[in-house]
Amino acid sequence: MPHEVKMPQLGMTQDSGVIVAWLKAAGDAVSEGDALFEVETDKATMEVEAQTGGFLAGIRASEGEDVPVGDVIALIVDNEGEVTDHAAAPNTETAAPEQEPAAAEPGPEASDEQTPPAPEPAPPPKPGPNAAPTPATGKVLASPKAKRLALERGIDLAMLSAQGVSEPIHAADLPRAATGGHSILTASTTGAAMDALLASSDAADRTALFAAFARGAWRMIFDSEAGVAIRALDGTVTVTGADSAALTLVDLCGTRLTSYAPSAGGPTLTAARQGDGYALTLAFPEGALPMPQAAALLDDIAARVEDPIRQLL
Amino acid sequence: MRSITLSQAVNEAIAEEMRRDETVFLIGEDVAEAGTPFKVTSGLVEEFGTDRVIDTPIAEPGFMGLAVGAAMTGARPVVDLMFGDFLYLVMDQLCNQAAKTHYMSGGKLKVPLVLRTNLGATRRSAAQHSQSLQALVAHIPGLKVAMPSSAYEAKGLMKTAIRDDNPVVIFEDKLMYQDKALVPEEEYLIPFGEANVLREGDDVTLVGTSSMRQVCEKAAEILASEGISAEVIDPRTIVPLDEDTLLASARKTSRVIVVDEGHQSYGVTAEIAARINEKAFYHLDAPVIRMGAMDVPVPFSPALEDLTVPTPDGVAENARKLMSGEMIHAA
Repeated sequence: MPHEVKMPQLGMTQDSGVIVAWLKAAGDAVSEGDALFEVETDKATMEVEAQTGGFLAGIRASEGEDVPVGDVIALIVDNEGEVTDHAAAPNTETAAPEQEPAAAEPGPEASDEQTPPAPEPAPPPKPGPNAAPTPATGKVLASPKAKRLALERGIDLAMLSAQGVSEPIHAADLPRAATGGHSILTASTTGAAMDALLASSDAADRTALFAAFARGAWRMIFDSEAGVAIRALDGTVTVTGADSAALTLVDLCGTRLTSYAPSAGGPTLTAARQGDGYALTLAFPEGALPMPQAAALLDDIAARVEDPIRQLL
Repeated sequence: MRSITLSQAVNEAIAEEMRRDETVFLIGEDVAEAGTPFKVTSGLVEEFGTDRVIDTPIAEPGFMGLAVGAAMTGARPVVDLMFGDFLYLVMDQLCNQAAKTHYMSGGKLKVPLVLRTNLGATRRSAAQHSQSLQALVAHIPGLKVAMPSSAYEAKGLMKTAIRDDNPVVIFEDKLMYQDKALVPEEEYLIPFGEANVLREGDDVTLVGTSSMRQVCEKAAEILASEGISAEVIDPRTIVPLDEDTLLASARKTSRVIVVDEGHQSYGVTAEIAARINEKAFYHLDAPVIRMGAMDVPVPFSPALEDLTVPTPDGVAENARKLMSGEMIHAA
């Protein structure tokens, strides 16, 4: 029984992905965990690994093709001799229960989708963003221009539809820009573990730790690397982790200040002392960072502050 | 600048080219003393004589074949086909011979021939004298197709057509022969494949061929009074087609209505709409709308005939629907 390789859902509002490149050719031997292909979503480009070993056969989506999530794009067969048999196999709907999409982490995500989202005080090792509710199911009718602009501006059309914008969505229905109008999420954490970690070494830098936690959480939620811009109170900005920043960090811990609300720009994380613990604030434009992902991101950062060992997981 | 009729403009173009090049001659039914039913060629036989302004019997395949042969052997015939509907009679001479000779002779033979004919309904001429058959010949590789939208275009395109080494079919709108436009006294040519942006706008592009240009311009006036800014483009030649101008406009306005008087199905509107769809898809905020003549034989009844062709009100109504996001066709 050939294993079906499907277009994985790598972001919760993603309904298709563009095959950037096949990293294996038809007939190649593949082992479980081998990078099969590169896929580009509206958020990032990433490699997708094989879920099983065998031989790659029946590639049905070529490079540059935009493939709906869940569509079978290739097969992995057990024997090399089967490769030719499946080279032009029809795209039949024969998904057996044991056949899983070749998502990077299909296990916990797939099962979490079945359960209602619940903020968990003792979260499992990998609480994916897909635990949050999906804003809309099915296809959103929108003009080609509206779809293109939404992609360019990072606007979620399904979210607009859920907010009552009538379909088909046209260009004029899109928010003009993803600036201003930030939503705010706050989190409170205990501080003992973090403070112990900082006390353990003179070299430990609180702000750098917050930035590292933010990058780790981002990787967890979005499966992609993000730079964090550390915005110091003297106005200087240092980008860490990557060339460009997806998130801005403002560390107020050494001051009496408690929060900061940016008037424009991308998601901004503020860290401040709150009694013995910490107060974390995430200000984000919902057009660029939908609420469910923002919530999952901040919760994951907070969990790392409370229990820094999670950063190693 | 003086104002002359489309009829006079065509007459001037042919006369000037006949004076310039003695290999140019005119052939067709009633082109000499009668000057054609639309009085387009009046006076030419007096200047150039019956050797170069040749009246023929009522035998379109015969004189068309004769002209193709003359063109292959060094002359530059201008063939007058009294009604566009008679294209069916010269299909082999035009589409099998003239259009393919250069290719099939390995480039050794040229067919520098102009077939001037007409299109257009609402003249109460009934189904066999009212058709707009430009899509029929535009489909054939090897033919160029010009569709003048005023006296100015009629003269400039005719002169370019006569000088072109390929067979060219020119469709004049038979209802526009008495329409006047500003035409320079001095010589000018209008190159093929250069569309004319008649009016600039931001909200919707109206593409109109031949007399549909005027329909689009009137629609743009109506829309302007309602605050909708329409851009009006006349392709001037549909083969070759100035894709760049059409695509640039489609990208700017995101909405396009294509208007041509040929039957809507499988027509010029469909071809232009398809190209915009293929090449400017991600800039479109609404489907590209075709507006052609109704898919029926053109009625003789004036009341019915007038219902079959695109009108300014009809174009404006579709533009309003595109602007409001209303679906003209089901999703």
